[in-house]
Amino acid sequence: MNDAVAVAASAVTALVGHRAAEWDRAGRLPTEVVRKLGAAGQLAPQIPTRYGGPGWSSADTGEFTAHVGSLCSSVRSVMTSQGMAAWAVERLAGPAQAAELLPRLATGDTAAVAFSEPQAGSDLSAVTTTVAVDGDSLLLTGRKVWVTAADHADLFLVLARLGEGGAVVVVPRGAPGVRVRRMADPLGCRAAGHAEVRFDAVRLPAGSLLGDGGQSLSLLATTALTYGRISVAWGCVGILRACVAAAGEHAGLRHQFGRPLGRHQLVARHLAELWAAEQVATRVCEHASRCWDDGSTDLVTATVLAKYVSAGQAVRGAAAAVQVLASAGAQDGHPVARAYRDAKLMEIIEGSTEMCQLLLADHVLSRW
Amino acid sequence: MTTSSDRAVPETAGGSDAVQAELLRFLTARTRKPWTADADLFASGGLSSLFAMELVVHLERTYGIAIRGTDLRLENFRTVWRMAALVDRLRQPAPGGRGE
Ligand SMILES: Cc1cc2nc3c(=O)[nH]c(=O)nc-3n(C[C@H](O)[C@H](O)[C@H](O)COP(=O)(O)OP(=O)(O)OC[C@H]3O[C@@H](n4cnc5c(N)ncnc54)[C@H](O)[C@@H]3O)c2cc1C
Repeated sequence: MNDAVAVAASAVTALVGHRAAEWDRAGRLPTEVVRKLGAAGQLAPQIPTRYGGPGWSSADTGEFTAHVGSLCSSVRSVMTSQGMAAWAVERLAGPAQAAELLPRLATGDTAAVAFSEPQAGSDLSAVTTTVAVDGDSLLLTGRKVWVTAADHADLFLVLARLGEGGAVVVVPRGAPGVRVRRMADPLGCRAAGHAEVRFDAVRLPAGSLLGDGGQSLSLLATTALTYGRISVAWGCVGILRACVAAAGEHAGLRHQFGRPLGRHQLVARHLAELWAAEQVATRVCEHASRCWDDGSTDLVTATVLAKYVSAGQAVRGAAAAVQVLASAGAQDGHPVARAYRDAKLMEIIEGSTEMCQLLLADHVLSRW
Repeated sequence: MTTSSDRAVPETAGGSDAVQAELLRFLTARTRKPWTADADLFASGGLSSLFAMELVVHLERTYGIAIRGTDLRLENFRTVWRMAALVDRLRQPAPGGRGE
């Protein structure tokens, strides 16, 4: 870790402290925690310095994301949303829009990404939310579900149809016609502030379409998801690190049948596989971040691979950690209990395990 | 902001020969299939939108351009002609700059 990352990491460790369990049980992050991270630019550390952001590399952001993920997957989810929103703006916005929005996202305003709908999950070509030009303004109508970080978001980035093409629309939370309803009791990342967001004939200035809109829906989604995937993948590395720490410590301290748990071979195998899972996930994420930082075309596939491998490893690793801790980890709020629930959702978001498999198979078929 | 004239995509040969030749080499190396400059890359049995992202990254790195905003349309990457035309247009410094 370089110095800036190490300093930020210890600041987050101090900020989260031992409160992640409490936030998980309450299903909510304290507003000041999100605001503090936002104001420090730590929710989206890759925002370039020319826009007032930290300007970190993908590799540094990844290490930081893993650290946050090892403490609290809900905070890490909020980071993923903010980073994805910032990346979408950086890629899609015109220069004036980028100069207006990115400094805000680098210093305190928070954003959430609203793509999914009741009938459009894996298949985003089925979105029905529509934005239309109406005189010199825009009208947005539709309903989005599972919007992470909606609880605290000042802005929503909404995927919508615009004529034959698509658009990402920037919507202030306070615009008339925007209604945010918290989703109760998600399986994991419980404090990440998921909500359903409705847009009823929301009237917006013409400049609210990123880059004037009219892009293809699939390219818009792929663009945003590329950042989301690498962020989730590093978050899974964090989940695995928390599991290695908890399982390793417990297996050394707890005795049964006259010796430490870790000295029973079947338990030792769990530890070996858990550590292997953490290492594999770390390497595949490092590779994806290197591709990102080098501007390599392999980036796109490497990102899907990192997300796919890390989420699968996190699910298996978290299950092994719960097994090693047994009743000691079998309570809501415990790091391995959270890891177990949080990891499973990582196989669903930003392209499910099956969707990643299809993309990776496509990659193989297009090459060989 | 881009103007509506930016949206017009040439249906005929576009861009410099050198760019076209380089793109054909890239496509052939990447897909191990021969392509022509007017072939529709995304027609059925063709390439995915994930591959379109790869093309974006390749064009940006190879030609030192930034493909942002409205230019990020699948239509701009549908054929080698269109990509070469896009490269030509973005290599001309845009009025006001493109923020890079
Ligand atoms: C914790 C969490 C946070 C989220 N945050 C956000 C957010 O911030 N913004 C947002 O827009 N959305 C968000 N989502 C929604 C998420 O993007 C979707 O859940 C995801 O895209 C999957 O869609 P779905 O749940 O409708 O499942 P479906 O698309 O209905 O899929 C159901 C199952 O079928 C499989 N499947 C579907 N199609 C195929 C196929 N062609 N081949 C093989 N298998 C297939 C899937 O892999 C899955 O296993 C979040 C979801 C969760 C759980």
